[in-house]
Amino acid sequence: MTVTPVVETRGLVKRYDDQLAVAGVDLWVGPGEIYGLVGPNGAGKTTTMKILATLLAPTAGEAFVTGIPVGADPIEVRRRMGYMPDFYGVYDDLRVWEYLDFFARCYEVPARKRPTMISELLEIVGLSDRRDAYVETLSRGMRQRLCLAHTLVHDPALLILDEPASGLDPRARVEMREILKALSGMGKTILVSSHILPELGEMCTGVAIIDHGRVLRSGSIRDIERSLRASALLRIDVLGDPKAADAAAAWLGTNPRVGDVLHVAGSDGVTRIEAAFDGGAAEQASLLHAMVEAGHAVVGFTQATSDLEEIFLKVTGQADGEEQAA
Amino acid sequence: MTSEAIAMAPVRHSAVREFIGAVATIMVKELRSRMRGRRAFILLTIYLGLLALIAYGVYLISAPATSAGFGMSANASAMVGSAIFMVLSIFQLILICFIAPAATAGQVSLEREKQTLDLLISTPMRPGAIVVGKLAAALAYVVLMIVAAIPITAIVLMYGGATVMDIVHQQVVLLAVAVGLGAVGLFYSALLKRTQAATVLTYITVLAMTLGTTAVFVFWMVFANQSSGGFDVGPRKTAPEALLYVNPGVAMLDVISATESTSFGGISSMLAGLRGESVTLGGNGMMCDESGRCQPIDNLGNPIDPDTIGPMLGPGYWWSRISITLVIVAVILTVASMRLIVPPGMRGGLRRRHPGPAANLVTESADAGIVPMDPTDD
Repeated sequence: MTVTPVVETRGLVKRYDDQLAVAGVDLWVGPGEIYGLVGPNGAGKTTTMKILATLLAPTAGEAFVTGIPVGADPIEVRRRMGYMPDFYGVYDDLRVWEYLDFFARCYEVPARKRPTMISELLEIVGLSDRRDAYVETLSRGMRQRLCLAHTLVHDPALLILDEPASGLDPRARVEMREILKALSGMGKTILVSSHILPELGEMCTGVAIIDHGRVLRSGSIRDIERSLRASALLRIDVLGDPKAADAAAAWLGTNPRVGDVLHVAGSDGVTRIEAAFDGGAAEQASLLHAMVEAGHAVVGFTQATSDLEEIFLKVTGQADGEEQAA
Repeated sequence: MTSEAIAMAPVRHSAVREFIGAVATIMVKELRSRMRGRRAFILLTIYLGLLALIAYGVYLISAPATSAGFGMSANASAMVGSAIFMVLSIFQLILICFIAPAATAGQVSLEREKQTLDLLISTPMRPGAIVVGKLAAALAYVVLMIVAAIPITAIVLMYGGATVMDIVHQQVVLLAVAVGLGAVGLFYSALLKRTQAATVLTYITVLAMTLGTTAVFVFWMVFANQSSGGFDVGPRKTAPEALLYVNPGVAMLDVISATESTSFGGISSMLAGLRGESVTLGGNGMMCDESGRCQPIDNLGNPIDPDTIGPMLGPGYWWSRISITLVIVAVILTVASMRLIVPPGMRGGLRRRHPGPAANLVTESADAGIVPMDPTDD
C-alpha cells in the first residue's frame, strides 16, 4: 500500500483580484516529516497554508490533508489539523488553562479528558507554571508557545505553523525549535514556514523554496544544495605558518578539479583554505591523498555543509534572473 | 458506505446536541471574560438602584396629583401603579435599545481586529454555533438586566393599575427588542471589518427602526390625508402599518396602554389612530375598579362591553406583532451573519455533516497515529 501523504497539493492556484498569490503549487509531505516552506514575504506561503487550513478556497487546483479534499470536507480536515497563523491574537481576558480549555471544547474533546490533556500540553510547551496566569501577562514567546499548544488540543496528525518563530528573540527561537523537534518525535507531521531558510534547515526533513507563488525547488536541503552546486566547497585546514598555507593553496590551484581558492584566517598555527571542488567523494579522497603525498600538513579536510542563506539567495535570485530574461 | 465503515466512524452526537454543546462552549468562554470581577455585578446594582429611584420618584410625583381633586380617590392607587409601570417600562426600553446593540456590535469584528477569528473558524465548530453562541453570550447580560428588574416592576402590583400579565407582556417586548436589536449589531459586526463602523451603522439602523419608522409613518399619514383635499373628509387614510412592526416604542406603548386609566388616556387612542380607527368611544375614557382593571365607559358612565368594540381596538394589537417581527428579524440576521463568517467558497463543504469518503479516512488516520475523537461524554 502506498503511503498517503499528510499534505498534498496539486496545481494549487489562488488569485486575488488582480494578483496571483499562489501560481500552481505542488507539495507532497509524508507522515512524520517536518516540512519547511521558505520564501520571502509575499511569496505565497501564508496563502498556501490558509488554503490547507480551510480558511481560503483555492481558485484552482486541489489540496488534501491526510487524503481528505480540503474544499469538499473542511470540517473533517479541521479535526486532523492544527493551525497557527502568522499573525494572531489571544483572548486577553482568559487564563492560560481556560484558553486551552476553550479550544479543547471547540474541538469536541470530552470533558473528562480535558484537564490531563491541558496539563500535558502545558508541560510540552513549558508553560506549566503559568497555568492560572492571564494570557495578557504572557511574553511574546510564551504566547507563541501557547498558540502552539492550542493547535495540539485535539491531537491532530498535522500541524500547520505559519512563521512560528517570527518576532522571537534567539533564545525563544531555540526553544520553539526544540518543541517542534519534540513534537516531530511524537509522530506529528509539521508544515512550517519561514522567510529565513537557516532557521528551518537544521530541523526540516524537506523544504520547498517558494517565490512569486511558485515552488522553485523542493526536496531535502541536501538535494537542493547538490542541484545548485555543481562543485562542492572543501574546507582544508593546513598546519604551519601562512607560507605553508600559501604553498598548499598554490598546489591546490594547479589541480584541474579545483576552482577558486581562498584563505580564511587561521588560528593556533592552523590556516583554513576554502576551495571549490568539482567532484564526488572518490575524487575528494584522491585529492586528500595527493595533497598529503605532496607534503602538506593537512589537519582538517571536510566538505562544507551548505550555507543556507546562500542557497536561498541563489534560488530566488536565479528565478528573478530567469524572469527578467523571459 | 459499508457497515464496516459505519462501525469505525467515531460516534457523533445528534446535530442538535452538537449545536447546543458548541453554543455553550462559546458562551462559557465569553461569560468567563465578561462576568469576571466585580464590574458586571456593580453595573447591575447601579442599574437596579436607578430603577428603584425612578419608581420612587414617580410615586412622589403622581401620588399627590392623583389623590387630590376630581373625586377619584378610588382609582388613585391604580393610577400611581400605572404611572410607575409606564415610566419604568419606557426607561427600560430606551436603555435596552442602547445596550443590546452595543453588546453585540463588536462580537465578530473585535475578533477580526484582534486576529482571533481565524483560530476560531479553523476549529470544527459550525459557523451557526459560533454566531448563535456569540449572540447568546452578548445578550446574557442584557437578559439578566431585564429579568432582574422584574421585582422592581412588580411594586406596581401593590398599587394596582398593572397586572401580572402586563408585566409578562412588558418582559416579552423587552426580550424581543434585546434579541432583535442584538442581532442587528451582530450582523453589522460580521459584515464589517471595523467595530467602530459596525457600531455606527448599528445605531443608525436602530434609529431608523424607532424614530425613522415613526417619522415616515406620520409624514405618510399627513400627506395621504392632505391629498384628499381639506381635512377629514371620508375615512382617514393611513400609512401601511407594517412599517411600525419593527418599532420597539410602539410595542411598549401598546403594553402600557393596557394599564391606562383616564388620566393617562392618550396612548390607547393614539395607537388606535395609527390604524385609522376613530378613537373616542364617545370620548369618555375608562373606569377602573379596586383591582386596577379598567374598562371603557360610555357617555353615561356605563361600562362598555369590550366585545362590542371589537378585538381590534383593545390593547394588545401591536406588541405581539412587533415582538414576533423582531424575533423573525433576529433569526434572519443571525443566519446572514453565519454566512458572512464562512470563508468564501467553503459553504458547500461546511454544510455536509457526514463525509462520503469516511471509510478509508478512518483507517488511514489510525495508521497515522491519530486517536479518533471520542465525543461520547461532554
